[in-house]
Amino acid sequence: MYNLIRVELFKLRKNRSFWTLLIALTVLSLAYPLLYYFDHRSSGKPQFTGAEFLLTFLSSNAYVIKFGVAVLAGFFISNEYATGVMKTIASSGNTRGRLYMAKLTVFAIGAAAISLVFPIVSTVEVTLLSGFGQLPEGSGAIFLLRVLVLTILYTAAYAAIGALFTAILTDSGKTIGFSMIFFLVIDVALAGIGSKLKFVETLYKYSIFKLTGDIGRLNIESGDWPALLIAPILTIAVSAILGILVFRRKDIK
Amino acid sequence: MQEYVLKTNNLSKKFKGHQALDKVNLSIRKGAIYGFIGQNGAGKSTLIRLVTGLAFPTEGSLELFGASGEQALIQARKRMGSIIESPALFPHMTAHENLEANRILRGIPGKDCVPRMLKQVGLEGTGNKKAKNFSLGMKQRLGLAIALLGDPEFIILDEPTNGLDPMGVIEMRELLKTLNRELGITIMISSHILSELHLMASHYGIIHRGKLLEQLTADELNERCQQYIYIQVNDPGKAAAVIQNEMGTADFEVMQDGAIKLYSQMEKPSHLSSALFSAGLEIEKFMPMGEDLESYFTKRIGGTPHV
Repeated sequence: MYNLIRVELFKLRKNRSFWTLLIALTVLSLAYPLLYYFDHRSSGKPQFTGAEFLLTFLSSNAYVIKFGVAVLAGFFISNEYATGVMKTIASSGNTRGRLYMAKLTVFAIGAAAISLVFPIVSTVEVTLLSGFGQLPEGSGAIFLLRVLVLTILYTAAYAAIGALFTAILTDSGKTIGFSMIFFLVIDVALAGIGSKLKFVETLYKYSIFKLTGDIGRLNIESGDWPALLIAPILTIAVSAILGILVFRRKDIK
Repeated sequence: MQEYVLKTNNLSKKFKGHQALDKVNLSIRKGAIYGFIGQNGAGKSTLIRLVTGLAFPTEGSLELFGASGEQALIQARKRMGSIIESPALFPHMTAHENLEANRILRGIPGKDCVPRMLKQVGLEGTGNKKAKNFSLGMKQRLGLAIALLGDPEFIILDEPTNGLDPMGVIEMRELLKTLNRELGITIMISSHILSELHLMASHYGIIHRGKLLEQLTADELNERCQQYIYIQVNDPGKAAAVIQNEMGTADFEVMQDGAIKLYSQMEKPSHLSSALFSAGLEIEKFMPMGEDLESYFTKRIGGTPHV
């Protein structure tokens, strides 16, 4: 398993799409606060501090996570079916379950790296321009740590779903297209169906799709923590098991 | 007792109602170069994919190095290398990086095997050139280097000479023969270039429409390839009469171009040539010939040659 994770990390390091995504997101994350900075300067409005910027725009990071997972799933995993590399991997004398878990682990690491670009780069830039300011009373370094951990955990959950799609679809274009549509539509779909069906409403309430919005909440009640932690862990577990089941019996062309 | 690297027992594979493999019982002896022959869609790649674990049989089983069962086969596959259909490369990586990725994947200790393999296949000078910019021949050689990483005991090569220039084909053949002779690597090779296979294979398997028609050794093939005397004269009709009267045989055929193929009485070529000469015939060509693998294969599958 160690070698499998090592080789996936080696491939991630050499993956051009991964670096393109990282660089593009870094550029956008640098440009986005600058627009506000110059706008506020010309209109005389007070500038955002690093803390304010993070609290105001953290929810937008969900789109980056979804986009990042969809694109990376297509180019990092599904692309291996097109190049034929998956044949070499599958015939290398390792069980399909291990191969899948190694891929999922490194894919989640890559997606997590992408998911942290916007909050870190933007907040650092705004802090350099206008100072960090103060987080609201009662939150502090622990809030930042919590945001970091939950962002990584939720990204891993999205990555697990993305990896499942790659095992089913095996084609980069289909994987990217389907994942993007799925991640963008699932919220509206579950909310819409949930308004008519109580069960779906509850399912949506405790799904990662809804709970992603709570990552940046300042105060989380102790009663909310189990759902906030169990939902992504359960999503990872269920998606990984389904992914392994699909991949284990898949004929690789 | 013969030691087998690969044995299949009634191996069958069905795709959406199409029987791609039908109860195939194939065996490859240790140390053999096994030429696997069949038309497009005959089932060659399907069988290779089952052996390498890319697909699963509908019925039957297979043994690799005597091991059978899912887990044992996975372990046994560590002892083999393969190129299936086309070389599987990371297009954005260099030759060195491609080998390094595969070295880590297979858990091969020591990095020295990477430059050694690159040298062995003649790709040591490719530097920072990405695999996507390689010619087809270079890709084939890199694919072979990947298959040979970790010193496998058995390699499966599906069309390894695709895209190689004539010199490349010769080099590949010599390399495979050397690997077989000096390192004792068993090789299963499928190729459309039957004349090329004929120059290196020690054993053959002929597959047609999912069924293994025949397995034979090179010696058996040579025995079965029909020998004849090829005769070209200025008057084929008269020559036919001479052969019948003087040699006492009707075991010959006159081809459309007037050439004659005599299948018997081959031990008396001088007697025949004298008879033809004495009959006043002008002999343009007179030589012993034999069927090659291609014509044997065509005859065996009973069809047109679309290997």
